[in-house]
Amino acid sequence: MTSLRPFLLAFTIGAAAFAADPIPVKIATDTSGASTRVVLTFAKKVACTAVEDAGHVRIQCDGPIAADPGTGTLDDAILRSFGAEGDRAIVLTTGRGYKSVDTFELKNPTRLVIDLQGTRTTKAAAAPAVPQKQLPVIVIDPGHGGVEAGAIGPSGLQEKDLTLDLARRLKALLERQGATVVLTRDEDRVLPLDDRTAIANHNHAILFISIHLNASKRKTAVGAETYFLATSATDAEARTLAGLENKAYEPPGATNPPAPGSPPGRELELILWDLAQNSFLVESSRLAEAVQTELNTATGVRDRGVRQAPFRVLMGATMPAILIEAGFISNPEEEARFKDDAYKDKVADAIARAVASITARP
Amino acid sequence: MRPRLLAVACAFSIAWLPACGRKDETQPETVAASPQDQAAPTQPQPDAPQSEQAEPLAKATVTLYFPSAGGDLLTAETREIVDTKRPADRGAQIVAALLEGPKSEGALPAVPPGTTLRQLWVRDDGNAYADFSEELMTGANAGSADEILTVYAIVDSLTQNVSEIRKVGILVAGRERETFGHLDLSHPIPPDLTWAKPK
Repeated sequence: MTSLRPFLLAFTIGAAAFAADPIPVKIATDTSGASTRVVLTFAKKVACTAVEDAGHVRIQCDGPIAADPGTGTLDDAILRSFGAEGDRAIVLTTGRGYKSVDTFELKNPTRLVIDLQGTRTTKAAAAPAVPQKQLPVIVIDPGHGGVEAGAIGPSGLQEKDLTLDLARRLKALLERQGATVVLTRDEDRVLPLDDRTAIANHNHAILFISIHLNASKRKTAVGAETYFLATSATDAEARTLAGLENKAYEPPGATNPPAPGSPPGRELELILWDLAQNSFLVESSRLAEAVQTELNTATGVRDRGVRQAPFRVLMGATMPAILIEAGFISNPEEEARFKDDAYKDKVADAIARAVASITARP
Repeated sequence: MRPRLLAVACAFSIAWLPACGRKDETQPETVAASPQDQAAPTQPQPDAPQSEQAEPLAKATVTLYFPSAGGDLLTAETREIVDTKRPADRGAQIVAALLEGPKSEGALPAVPPGTTLRQLWVRDDGNAYADFSEELMTGANAGSADEILTVYAIVDSLTQNVSEIRKVGILVAGRERETFGHLDLSHPIPPDLTWAKPK
């Protein structure tokens, strides 16, 4: 038997029916996007097809497989549970929100990606059910960096250093809450604004938080404020382009990595980048309100409120996105406060609490 | 009444410009830069033909928005402009008055010293484009607070006084800029009056 193995192996590609050993298949699910995604990772190639049935999607394979885990249940309106059936099938039990199924294959390793399209009654994009395995990704963006120092306080405190410091503190706190955190920069370097947003999109982040410190010629200016995007598009423009968007493009944060197929044209991509945040404004404003409330409670500094402005870094984000101006380092007293570790912890802790309140929402 | 008339004259007449320094701080660069830019080649000369006609020029009162000295918002001041009908002419007068700076104690200049308007035009779709000299970018990317007030001082002053203008594109030295530091400048910006009023 052992000597036959190379021959058998070659043979199993395409027709595994004669292979004696079941092929291990890892099952992973992801409900963080608009669709529910199931990824089957095969130790060896097996031909499998998805067949729709009442209340089920059956993944039928040509050869024996060993699913890991053998069963699973989800808190999701599109996919309720999955389980192995016999040694050649996996049955996905769909929920009331289920509408249709798409599949595609990926190589190295061999994967079958099953996207279950549908709707969830609650705001899925804003508050995804916490997935069982994959932790939600939150991207934190420390403003400025490198030669681009940002604001500089009267005693020399630089915005770029303080934003990174606060971002690292916030990262530690969010990780303790169970999130996966990506910093757009974790060193002192220049990073273009669009790249920062792209990092959030590529990581399929559920939240994008840009941290800044303010400055003004008015030395009396003091306090914290939280922004979400003020869009430059009129409602009519947004509607027109939303039509295009639905046809040509799926926001990467909401669903998938760019699926095989034709990418949108450069021009379209640019328009979409500019309008990407438009569909998340309600969620973004909620996050901004939560952050601003916590910041006020924690720090007691002057409440400058939640505001909207056309911040470039928020425009292309395909997830709820905010920009926090944590305080004015042009104001000597406020600058002094930001040199204190306890105060910085307090600010980071306030933001982390706000994030927890948003992500914990059912 | 006299200072007002002077302001109008300053906005309008190149010959009078040497008399247009600000009272509190004279800025010779501002004055020097203005004549060239006001007379930029593409800028039509709306005032010249009108002054030839002997008709008295009707005045219109406009509201300008400047960053307030004590608060976080914009504060309003009124000015009189020549009641020209062309939206671009009205817009150019408004921006010229804005660049001259505020008259009240409680207001700050909306733009860095030395900033001039190179050109302003209004398209049929309601987008106005105001092209400023490079000085506009001085001090950009320090704090978003001042950046926001500069942008909305320009955008709100134009959109609130010229009904044909619905959004304002801000250009610098003849070119479109991606950002003004934090804020996107690659699209015309609609007005936001929350910056002009207390919440």
